[in-house]
Amino acid sequence: MARKSYQEQLEELREDVCYMGEVVMERLRMGLDAIEQKDEDLAQEVIEGDGEVNRMYLDLEKDCIDLLALQQPVASDLRFIASTFKIITDLERVGDLAVNLGEYTKDAERDLFPDVDVQTMGDLTLEMIDDAMVAYDTENVEQCRDLAVRDDDLDHYAERASGIVVRDLIERELGSPDEAELLLQDVSRLLLTIRDLERVGDHAVNIAARTLYMVENDDELIY
Amino acid sequence: MTANRGQGATTETRTDSSTESVTERVAGSPGVDDAVIESRDLKVFYGDDQALQGIDMEIPEKQVTALIGPSGCGKSTYLRSINRMNDLIDVARVEGDLYFHGKNVYDDDVDPVALRRKVGMVFQKPNPFPKSIFDNVAYGLRVQGKDDGDVEGKVRQALERAALLDEVEDQLDSSGLDLSGGQQQRLCIARAIATDPEVVLMDEPASALDPVATSKIEDLVEELSRNYTVVIVTHNMQQAARISDKTAVFLTGGHLAEFDDTSKIFENPESQRVEDYITGKFG
Repeated sequence: MARKSYQEQLEELREDVCYMGEVVMERLRMGLDAIEQKDEDLAQEVIEGDGEVNRMYLDLEKDCIDLLALQQPVASDLRFIASTFKIITDLERVGDLAVNLGEYTKDAERDLFPDVDVQTMGDLTLEMIDDAMVAYDTENVEQCRDLAVRDDDLDHYAERASGIVVRDLIERELGSPDEAELLLQDVSRLLLTIRDLERVGDHAVNIAARTLYMVENDDELIY
Repeated sequence: MTANRGQGATTETRTDSSTESVTERVAGSPGVDDAVIESRDLKVFYGDDQALQGIDMEIPEKQVTALIGPSGCGKSTYLRSINRMNDLIDVARVEGDLYFHGKNVYDDDVDPVALRRKVGMVFQKPNPFPKSIFDNVAYGLRVQGKDDGDVEGKVRQALERAALLDEVEDQLDSSGLDLSGGQQQRLCIARAIATDPEVVLMDEPASALDPVATSKIEDLVEELSRNYTVVIVTHNMQQAARISDKTAVFLTGGHLAEFDDTSKIFENPESQRVEDYITGKFG
């Protein structure tokens, strides 16, 4: 094979991105566990771990720029690097959303809305990110298209969950001003959690969309 | 394999002075509406060796078409067949058709010298005559008997179009051989366009030049395409990507593997072999 070193660099980039995906998923898992167990130490670990994700992102961004500048990739190689450049941004954002989960955990003191199953929603988003990264690694275009469909289900789930919270808020007796303020904070936090998890699903679809473009030059999921 | 994804790649072309017209979808064409050069099943042989395997291609007017491919793939042979430079090689034999404005250039009544006035050529190595800069450019005009009018004006215009006039304006009487390599190549381009051709063929015109001189030639090629049809052979794929509108990829054995818009070739080629070649997986 000609340009052996270049081909090895491309493969190394793919492996490094998949590793970043694993780290980000681990952070997201930890964020969800922190919420479920109200574990402030775990939450703090997630928050402090974001620096590592950011460093990985910057390193991979530099790898992409170096490959573009020094190897002048074309065709599928060019699409791979262009897609990777976008995908690492999505992964970095998922890392930030995991940090948000940690911060919500630290602020929360009680669980007023047991009917809202944040964990199930979190599991769905984790599976989506996992599948998106497998699709990227194995260039599985069917998995990419499937993720777009699953994101619609996640959106409906998030919509229903938000509806439960809002309806409960309307029906609930507010009590004292202090109690009302506390309730408002609880509701805000829960709605933000739902929104953030829904956004994780969006990032999974972004990864799938770029992967589909990478493999088939097909931009149907991007626009 | 030839790719044929053209839209409206149907062309009507007069094949000769008789009124026979040919209407046919041309394989290997990206759908050129304003083809100035068109080859049909063009084969070139050097003795028993076949250098081109039935090439179908349409080259659009006033655009830059790049011919790329590994050594020995036939890209220079194709270029030289356009203005019948292969006639100068004893063992060369051409089959098939090559039309210039619908006229088959291999018809018996075509004068190759007259053809080359319309289809000029620039070679890999700058080859100025051992004459003054002015005389180098004026040479073609004199040979063609076009020196009765404003020769100086035509020479200056050619030097200007070749982006050389500013650098040599005060030394037009100096020898062309005293110029740098890049300047010599632009002098040769000026010489080629002084006689007002329609097509300029370039065979790796920048491969012997340093990066700065190469950049000037690349800028010039883009500029030339406002007035001329440019067909350029290059080993430098990034150069093809930078300067051409259309790219033809020839692969070993004299096959045209793919011909399409340059952006399509370098972003998403149809042929796996082309993909492998341009990404450096073989060749």
